[in-house]
Amino acid sequence: MSILAYNGAAIMAMKGKNCVAIAADRRFGIQAQTVSMDFDKVFEMGPHLYIGLPGLATDVQTVSQRLKFRLNMYELRENRKIKPKTFMAMVSNLLYERRFGPYFVEPVIAGLDPATFEPYIASMDLIGCPMETNDFVVSGTCSEQMYGMCESLWEPDLEPDDLFETISQALMNAFDRDAVSGWGAVVHVIEKDKVTTKYLKTRQD
Amino acid sequence: MASSMSGPFGNSGPGPLWTGGPAPGQFYNFPGNASIPSNGAAQKTLSPVVMGTSVLAFQFNGGVVIAADMLGSYGSLARFRDCPRLFKVNDSTIIGAAGDYADFQYLTNIIQQHVIDEECLNDGFGYTPKSLHCWLTRVLYNRRSQFNPLWNTYIVVGVEDEKPFLGYVDKIGMAYEAPSLACGFGAYMALPIIRETMEKKPDMNQEEALALIDRCMKLLYYRDARSLNKYQVAVVTKDGVDLRGPIKSQPNWEIAHMIKKKNTGVRMNVVPYDQTVNRV
Amino acid sequence: MMSVPNMMSNPLSDYQAPNQVSFSPYEFNGGTILAVAGEDYALIATDTRLSQGFSIHSRDSPKTYPLSNGSVLGCCGFHGDVLTLTKVLGARLQIFEKEHNKPMPTPSVAAMLSTILYYRRFFPYYTHNIVAGLDEEGKGCVYSFDPVGSYEREVFRAKGSASAMLQPLLDNQIGGKNQQSYKVVPIPLKKCVSMVKDVFTSAAERDIYTGDNILISIITKDGVKSEQFPLRRD
Repeated sequence: MSILAYNGAAIMAMKGKNCVAIAADRRFGIQAQTVSMDFDKVFEMGPHLYIGLPGLATDVQTVSQRLKFRLNMYELRENRKIKPKTFMAMVSNLLYERRFGPYFVEPVIAGLDPATFEPYIASMDLIGCPMETNDFVVSGTCSEQMYGMCESLWEPDLEPDDLFETISQALMNAFDRDAVSGWGAVVHVIEKDKVTTKYLKTRQD
Repeated sequence: MASSMSGPFGNSGPGPLWTGGPAPGQFYNFPGNASIPSNGAAQKTLSPVVMGTSVLAFQFNGGVVIAADMLGSYGSLARFRDCPRLFKVNDSTIIGAAGDYADFQYLTNIIQQHVIDEECLNDGFGYTPKSLHCWLTRVLYNRRSQFNPLWNTYIVVGVEDEKPFLGYVDKIGMAYEAPSLACGFGAYMALPIIRETMEKKPDMNQEEALALIDRCMKLLYYRDARSLNKYQVAVVTKDGVDLRGPIKSQPNWEIAHMIKKKNTGVRMNVVPYDQTVNRV
Repeated sequence: MMSVPNMMSNPLSDYQAPNQVSFSPYEFNGGTILAVAGEDYALIATDTRLSQGFSIHSRDSPKTYPLSNGSVLGCCGFHGDVLTLTKVLGARLQIFEKEHNKPMPTPSVAAMLSTILYYRRFFPYYTHNIVAGLDEEGKGCVYSFDPVGSYEREVFRAKGSASAMLQPLLDNQIGGKNQQSYKVVPIPLKKCVSMVKDVFTSAAERDIYTGDNILISIITKDGVKSEQFPLRRD
């Protein structure tokens, strides 16, 4: 089995009208055995910037901490908030530094530009090859299921409430068909002047 | 995040039965199980020797055309230059074969004997393209199931009930019918051109069809290292099979002087095959 | 394409050991099938693409096979096994009809298919199967199988290369999963057909083995009706 699927995860991000959403499951398991159901895989990197890290749990935490460190250094040096796109380059850079001994995470980034509040989403592979899209990105052990859900449910210019419903349904139904992800979910809807975080109760099997 | 697959059929095998599940045979490779020989035990036609390359076939207004070049390759050696790979079965049916030439000859002998047996019955029945294609599919599937495949891809064409027929079968018994068919390198290089032409000109006549065949055979000669510019072509219409050849397509090497060896500026000394060899 | 040993790295390799090209008796030819059981109908849909690796063999090769008893078999995976299995099943149905002078009921077809598949337990048919039809009460029924014959009656099921994309959507839209206060009722035919078109269009966006057309077969007491719908062809 792939080391990327050792702990199990499902993360996706979606663009809406002047908003973005990022959602993840909450399971931490060791192969088929579930260990906890309150594991964080989505990390706040700024008031309008979040990153989701599906993959090997130890690398999830290491990468999130190293990223936070680099981000702090950047913001201290530059004395301004980072743009999501710049942050994406930072993540990509960090991952590519380990080109031949990679961190086993495939990140998803969602945020709003700190100046223009332009929505931004991106995902990348474990060695930092980025992909920016205008609709949705998915990553994790049930990516096929997530693609199927997103491709059917997503539509352009969703309002925050509708975006929340869409991403929640897409994520929940996708990970219900995956044995190693699920067990609750978290959804962040990022708007210009607020971030709404909701925890979803989902089936526990 | 797919899990790697390996089973008794090697890494290029079929992949798991369902996502994350076992590949066929993965959990039951018992010692002494005859249906799954361990590596090295099998001394059957599990490797081809003298090989033929592409076969092309497509339908046109009023019939079907099929073509194959006449090279029998021995590995990378162009060993035999006069191997007919089209076999006329009867006045409405013809087959073309790619892959191991010995297996093709073996099977044509069997088909020939069947044709003679049918003839002796004198009941007016014989092979039709459809029935031969069906029979070939069963034979190839059975041989693959015994792990003793006939290492060929067959293209069966003909006219049945005044309608064109084109059928494909490969060495594992995978078969289908389609308006245009190709195997080997032809599937990658000639088939897209054939499909495009058929889409643009839905009712090609015989001349246009033959011109297209020649263009494709020439293209394959330029780009497929295991091919030859000597080929056979057969046209099947309701009036019967017209098997022609050997035809020599005239390649154009005029652009060859443009080919330079990288960095040195030295021109390659390209001598066209036609000017050096006139033996067969 | 078969791999030929690299002559350049060792020019004498041909003479030193017997040359062996690996032979695999299986191939994956793609294709997706989807079946839904309604109150008085069963629907089964398939795409019409037949592929191998990155090549498309045929754009007109539906993977649903009407059976002589009025039900429809959906069958995809390795096309050689599909052809053989459908032939075997067709012959067994003919024998039954001659012996009993009536068509075999759909639940019995499912039970028989299970034994046919299990017969090849140690050299399986590499096929994903669904049988759709009407049961003895005239209600729609769908049976889905794994390649070695374990089977189950279900209301909806997707199989084949894009099944992972389709199934969660069916769970949600037909099964009412993750929808609070949703009452699960049999889905009306019209809604079902338009949903099937939608989900296949979605699958064709992301799965290279699904495309060209879908063929939807609707089984009612009046027989099987089919309609085609185009998908993307790239």
